Amino acid sequence: MSIKQKFPDIDGFFGEYGGKFVPETLMYALEELEDTYSKLKDSEDFKKEFYADLSNFVGRPSPLYYADRLTKHYKSGKIWLKREDLNHTGAHKINNTVGQILLAKYMGKKRIIAETGAGQHGVATATVAARLGLECHIYMGAEDVKRQSLNVYRIKLLGAQVHAVDSGTATLKDALNEALRDWVTNVDDTYYIIGSVTGPHPYPMIVRDFNSVVGFELIDQSKAMFGKMPDAIVACVGGGSNAMGAFYPFIDKKETRLIGVEAGGNGVSTGEHAAPLNDGSPGVLHGARSYLMQDEVGQVKDTKSVSAGLDYPGVGPEHSWLKDIGRAEYVAINDQEALEAFHTVTKLEGIMPALETAHAFAYLDQLSKELDESSNIIVNVSGRGDKDINTVAEIDGIKF
Amino acid sequence: MNRLRKKLDHLLSIKEKALVAYLVAGDPDLDSTLNLMHLFVESGVDIIEVGVPFTDPIAEGPVIQKAHDRALKNNISLPKIIKLVEDFRKNDNSTPIILMGYLNTFSYHKNLIDNSDQHGVDAVLVVDIPGELSISSYGISNPNIDSISLISPTTSEERIEKIAKNGSGFIYYVTLRGVTGSSNLDVKEINTNIQKIRSYSDIPTLAGFGIKSNEDAKLLSEYSDGIIVGSSIVDMIDKQSDSKDFDRIGKYLRELKNAIL
Repeated sequence: MSIKQKFPDIDGFFGEYGGKFVPETLMYALEELEDTYSKLKDSEDFKKEFYADLSNFVGRPSPLYYADRLTKHYKSGKIWLKREDLNHTGAHKINNTVGQILLAKYMGKKRIIAETGAGQHGVATATVAARLGLECHIYMGAEDVKRQSLNVYRIKLLGAQVHAVDSGTATLKDALNEALRDWVTNVDDTYYIIGSVTGPHPYPMIVRDFNSVVGFELIDQSKAMFGKMPDAIVACVGGGSNAMGAFYPFIDKKETRLIGVEAGGNGVSTGEHAAPLNDGSPGVLHGARSYLMQDEVGQVKDTKSVSAGLDYPGVGPEHSWLKDIGRAEYVAINDQEALEAFHTVTKLEGIMPALETAHAFAYLDQLSKELDESSNIIVNVSGRGDKDINTVAEIDGIKF
Repeated sequence: MNRLRKKLDHLLSIKEKALVAYLVAGDPDLDSTLNLMHLFVESGVDIIEVGVPFTDPIAEGPVIQKAHDRALKNNISLPKIIKLVEDFRKNDNSTPIILMGYLNTFSYHKNLIDNSDQHGVDAVLVVDIPGELSISSYGISNPNIDSISLISPTTSEERIEKIAKNGSGFIYYVTLRGVTGSSNLDVKEINTNIQKIRSYSDIPTLAGFGIKSNEDAKLLSEYSDGIIVGSSIVDMIDKQSDSKDFDRIGKYLRELKNAIL
């Protein structure tokens, strides 16, 4: 049996990470979801419906694009871009929500809730809820509501309600807390669409499976474009769903380096960042055991990143496991480096990446020094940068 | 036999229901918490549940969340809470103390927790460990420290059996779907579920979440071995945090105790 088929185990663990650490009221909801998913995931009808939605509604497959000018810029290895930014709603997040809304439909749930950081998952959830005419509530940290006002408006246009969360640090982690509290309260009729490979089992598995369409496409596209598997796949990691979706089908393909890029904020050495795999320790947050940014008495630390989607103190448990077994590498890129990459990629390729994605691009500086000209490097372009224009303009001192 | 089991046995033998009162350690400050704990006992509280503040308390409603935040601003940590319990024990060596909190802080301080009976702690309640799992897997295996398990209206009968057999001290029956401090008690459902729990376990079953009035308390005590009150007390503590005049809380607790007699 291959690695990827064995995990998570029956209790939802990837090695020592994962599990179901939730208040008792949610245990039945998780079991119900687990049962539904295990029945549906191999059913031909379900798969047909899911893949039809991915192609007709999302617009898959997303292209694998050869970035000629970036390749010339770095002068080592061919750089290929997996264009998740071209998906409907502008990011990889839609792959997962299209899958989970089908689960909600099969389970007969009438009410959809979700948390969001950068707003992409909120938009993707509101989009699929609108399509099925389901009531939808999006929890978003009050800080993020401010820095992602465009996405807030998009969510409202789609007919969903946005709840600004003031508690704690008023960012993604607090939005997740509040969504979990909503779920505890309305557990009978509500489906919680978690937006990343985080949270209690079975979510890390379900979100990974739905998003792994990215990695499976990459296998075919790599064969077609350059006749072998890539030498490296680079993806940004907040909770880690775009990276996990790209990495998962490659776990057994040892010739491919898997590189996750965390948000280094002001720099990992300053302690002001959002890079738990680089500078954290195992702990329990939002229902799962994983690497976590915590202080010397076991409290969860504040995070810092220019990118709302990476501004999260935890990370999906499967990434923690891949780190410990040495199958994936995790590095950090600070705010300044990410912003520079944002401008470089925009100017050289005519592709404006999300600030999250810009972290993955920024690592090419380092990676190009390690690889030779014959190598093929894939950057997973997790989303487009339109939502970040206000943030970038403000940093550049421009007012509209 | 630790203080918790002794107290519950005693209450059963005199056919009284237990009154468990909750507060968050360090809200508004540790001296007030110590005074409040003694006030609780003087006002008829049988067992004290001390909340251990955490940055991400996912089972708490807004009232207790804010109390956690206030305590964290005072840099309250588990080592300081253990010291608080030691101070309490100087004047009270019989009232059982339960530490209630979240797995991350408990497992971070697992050695301290595992030896906390030496400092006067009788039980722990870890909100986010499923009841069929043993906290010994998380480094807390001292048999003198009871592990209180939660059962909720959504717990399946299969799991009720496992949890009831695994728990010690008492079973904490969560009376509603929701976070702490919510409302809408469904008495019929509560009664049915507590009967089920009792068919699998001999340890007492106490009921909590959503108790807001003497009437709620009286009603729930008829079906259970006692009641747990949290949010309403924490709310009163917050309102008196400047004056530190907590007499009203004493009066409220005496009324609750009378209501369940």
